[in-house]
Amino acid sequence: MTALAATEPFGQRLEAYLSKFWGETVKVRELARIPGGASRETYRFDAEVGGVSRGLILRRDPTGSLIDTDRQVEFLAYKSFHGIVPVPEPLVLERQGGVLERPFFIMSRVDGGKVASVMMTEPYGAHAGAIGEGLFSILGRIARSDPQPLPISGCFAAPALADCWREALDAWQAVIERDERHPQPIVRAAMRRLRRNPPKPAQKLSVVHGDYRSGNFLHDGQGRILAVLDWEMAHLGDPLEDLAWCFDPLWNHFDASRVAGTLSEDEAIAIWERESGLSVDREALAWWKLFSAVKGCAIWTTSAKEFVEGGHDLVLGFAGTYTARRHDRIMADRLAQLVEEGWS
Amino acid sequence: MTPTANDLLAGCIKTLAAPALPEDAGPFTTARMRTVALLNRMVALECAQGAAVRVAENAAIRALFAQAGPRYMELTQEAAAIGDGDYAIETLDAANARLRSLLINLHEKAERAGDGDLDRKLLKFYREMSERRELVLPAVKPA
Repeated sequence: MTALAATEPFGQRLEAYLSKFWGETVKVRELARIPGGASRETYRFDAEVGGVSRGLILRRDPTGSLIDTDRQVEFLAYKSFHGIVPVPEPLVLERQGGVLERPFFIMSRVDGGKVASVMMTEPYGAHAGAIGEGLFSILGRIARSDPQPLPISGCFAAPALADCWREALDAWQAVIERDERHPQPIVRAAMRRLRRNPPKPAQKLSVVHGDYRSGNFLHDGQGRILAVLDWEMAHLGDPLEDLAWCFDPLWNHFDASRVAGTLSEDEAIAIWERESGLSVDREALAWWKLFSAVKGCAIWTTSAKEFVEGGHDLVLGFAGTYTARRHDRIMADRLAQLVEEGWS
Repeated sequence: MTPTANDLLAGCIKTLAAPALPEDAGPFTTARMRTVALLNRMVALECAQGAAVRVAENAAIRALFAQAGPRYMELTQEAAAIGDGDYAIETLDAANARLRSLLINLHEKAERAGDGDLDRKLLKFYREMSERRELVLPAVKPA
């Protein structure tokens, strides 16, 4: 690829890579790492080619991660939905790593946006309703899209509609069993209950974003969503999975009356149903809500293991401690409530 | 197990001691310092309450076994034999791991036996246990 060694400055190696990739001399300017979650290292930079500068984002595999994901899935998710919903334009996918040592991809940069911290109260202020309208409209459009012609569908075998729940639960249960460092009676009880009380089959197969929530999109501070980000957990499945995850109290900014700090749950469902053309079965949604807590537990269990045994990435330490315990409480409350309501 | 206070501090030390890369300057370093502060806040909470939370949880699990009834005698006897030792966090965690494993067995047995009373008691206990373990951090208000 190039003679530059890994000890050379990151920016120089990136310049060499892009110059070869685009067949033109590329100058990299304003290179800076930005906080972008623990699943990928995220860098912003300007690439100057032939006197024209373009703002770009590079996402590189970390040494340790919240989740073990394939960067090709994330890249193809952006490719699939570019032009359908607001997402950055994917430009370069490097699966081997080359001069940057670890696999990465590059996409266009969306400037001028904000991302809400989950620790923040009322992050959208007076624009909460407009953000909710955008958030659940976009999710409805993702659910409505036929996955078959989309590039991302080639990454996965399509589950049967009746098996979406089982495949999702099997996958995350395997993560918990692999990474658990201490017995967790709450999630064990939740997983048994989920298997005894399965939801109805999915109404349709959709691309599931996998981490669709407050904090994973850019907004302009005036009520408009500029870009949906962090598609690394995208897969095919029941579209209710994304809706339930987005409704999880972990993302409600400490306001139980509004989902994702935006609208009431009923308002959000009405918008989603209008845009997706689907209807929400409340019993199935209840199943996916408890599942969301189990999925969260799996992610935080891996975070804790990676933090202690891996690279001590502080985001993993935070997720594996604070978030894990908060989600345990959400899960315990939800489990008890469902049994009170008649779950076997 | 969630990372211990020692693990969290080790992470902070490793981060602060690592040589800074030029591309890390700016928003990334600002965010990282904020995370160091949050982790230190969590460590303070763990140091203040960690032992008490573990002693209370272990005692509550033993009490659940004691109330579970003769059907579960074998597990109850096993749970009663697990002590908290010298109350060091590591010792308490080791006891907690053994007690939690027995608790999982107890709940599975209760479900198989259709023991609704014990099932409800265990679900109630899970709520109390998770509430006791939760770390409450101050929310951030918009600027």
